[in-house]
Amino acid sequence: MRNYIIKRVLGAIPLLICISFLCFVFINLIPSDPAEVALRVSQVPVITEEIIAETRAAMGLDKPYLVRYLDWVINCLHLDFGISYTNPDRTVGGELLRCLPATLVLAGASLVLVIFLSLPIGFFCAVYKDSWFDRITRGFIFMTTAMPAYWVGLLLMWLVSIKFDLLPTSGNGSWKHLILPAFTVSLTYISTYIRLIRNNMLENMKEDYVLYANVRGLPQKSILVKHILKNSLHTCIVAVGMSIPQLIAGTIVVENVFAWPGLGTLCITSIFNRDYPVIQTYVLLIGVLFVVFNLLFDIIQTIADPRLKNEVS
Amino acid sequence: MLKKFLENKMAVAMTGLVFIIALIGLFAPVLAPHDPYATNIMNKFAKFSMDYPLGTDHLGRCVLSRMIYGIRPTLGLATLTMFGTIGLGAFMGFMAGYFRGWIDEIIMRVVDVMLSFPSQIMVFAVVALLGIDVRNVILANVFIKWAWYARMIRAGVLKYRDKNYIQFSRCVGNKESFILLRHLLPSISSELAVLASLDIGWAIINISTLSFLGLGVQAPVPEWGAMLNEAKNVLTTNPVQMIAPGIAIVVLVTAFNLLGDALRDVLDPKEAS
Repeated sequence: MRNYIIKRVLGAIPLLICISFLCFVFINLIPSDPAEVALRVSQVPVITEEIIAETRAAMGLDKPYLVRYLDWVINCLHLDFGISYTNPDRTVGGELLRCLPATLVLAGASLVLVIFLSLPIGFFCAVYKDSWFDRITRGFIFMTTAMPAYWVGLLLMWLVSIKFDLLPTSGNGSWKHLILPAFTVSLTYISTYIRLIRNNMLENMKEDYVLYANVRGLPQKSILVKHILKNSLHTCIVAVGMSIPQLIAGTIVVENVFAWPGLGTLCITSIFNRDYPVIQTYVLLIGVLFVVFNLLFDIIQTIADPRLKNEVS
Repeated sequence: MLKKFLENKMAVAMTGLVFIIALIGLFAPVLAPHDPYATNIMNKFAKFSMDYPLGTDHLGRCVLSRMIYGIRPTLGLATLTMFGTIGLGAFMGFMAGYFRGWIDEIIMRVVDVMLSFPSQIMVFAVVALLGIDVRNVILANVFIKWAWYARMIRAGVLKYRDKNYIQFSRCVGNKESFILLRHLLPSISSELAVLASLDIGWAIINISTLSFLGLGVQAPVPEWGAMLNEAKNVLTTNPVQMIAPGIAIVVLVTAFNLLGDALRDVLDPKEAS
């Protein structure tokens, strides 16, 4: 088991190197000279060749490519991600840290909604298969796959906040501000997981152990909850865990609709302002989160599932 | 194959719907009642009427005309994206699956890295890097999506490359390019068609999302996502503005999703038996 974990962790390292290299190459592929962009964005009045050369030296752009990459990686490992172009007195790390809590709150609330809505709905859809409840849910799921998240956000905002004046339209301050954006973010995931749980349970119902439990005369309720649901949850937990970074990244559009001051809003503003270091670090952060969460839940799954555990050892 | 397709009512209906929408977009200059760019500030936010069936927007432009012209970028860009994606993905997938060895190794490692990135973030990163422009949105979509197709097509090629009929074709001395195009491509094309029709809905949503955020199709051009962005600003006063473009997107994407499902039923021999 330990060997397996070590192997998996070591296997993730080349992937992390690739991602960091991509992010590094990314900022160096900009058509214009980074030094010039930095000067222009921070509104230096007269840009001469000398100042550009000076800035290049100050930013370390005159060194060879690989040296710069290594410097950058080492700086990143020290959590020094450079300085924002638009705001020279702010570090990129500081900017991200300022916006991170809002996004984490939103993603966390969405995750809670996803778990607490999709689990019971998926369960009842499987238990009462082809009933009116199942049919309506399936229709609803089909609709949500075709609806863009931002339109759902606009509709909810209009219906709940403007028409009935129940919740505030935008910004963040209280838990009331959180409900609509969190629901919008979670909507696509809810439909995915309802479908996943439903299908998993229906597949498990055909297994021999269910037949055996029935033969033994166990009450239906205990078969459903203790046997079928428990066995169906394995893959769901892993899928939910792996979608956590997706939730964090997925807030980008919804944050924009609801003016939620998180990472997504920061990212979009940075794109408009051509603030490349911020975008670079954001992409790096999400990429690393993806690798880490995939690794983590892969290992958790192997430990939690005795069948996989035996296979490994 | 064609007979089975015609027997599947859903496939025929959805193909028809998509075809009609495409035709409306194609003949937009004939069908649109007004010029989609003609502003008339005196007549802004007009109600539904015979003259303006869907009313007018914040600049007094005819919403129906803008909707009709909006089909062009929405459907056109999505189709272009899919062609690019399938082209690049098929090329890479065939290379990897057919020649194996170090070519396969390199391509599949790149695919692994591409797939480990969240697709939406990659789109934003590429658009940020290349600048805000429609062409870059398509490039970004192709860039992030080809890896899925490369992997699928490679798996398909591996499944078929040692089949008897292909070995026979090689024995009788057919050229490798002939085998690729005439034997392997048709075998995989049905899976490809299903995936592509499901993914085109994704492309439509993705492009309209970028336009909504102001990173895709730019302001005066009528595009459904961009129209929703304008509607967002007048949400409190004129919520009607956001209804038509939203429903249009949902209808078009649903049509493609249903078409994909129906095609899978038609083309998948396992399902049929």
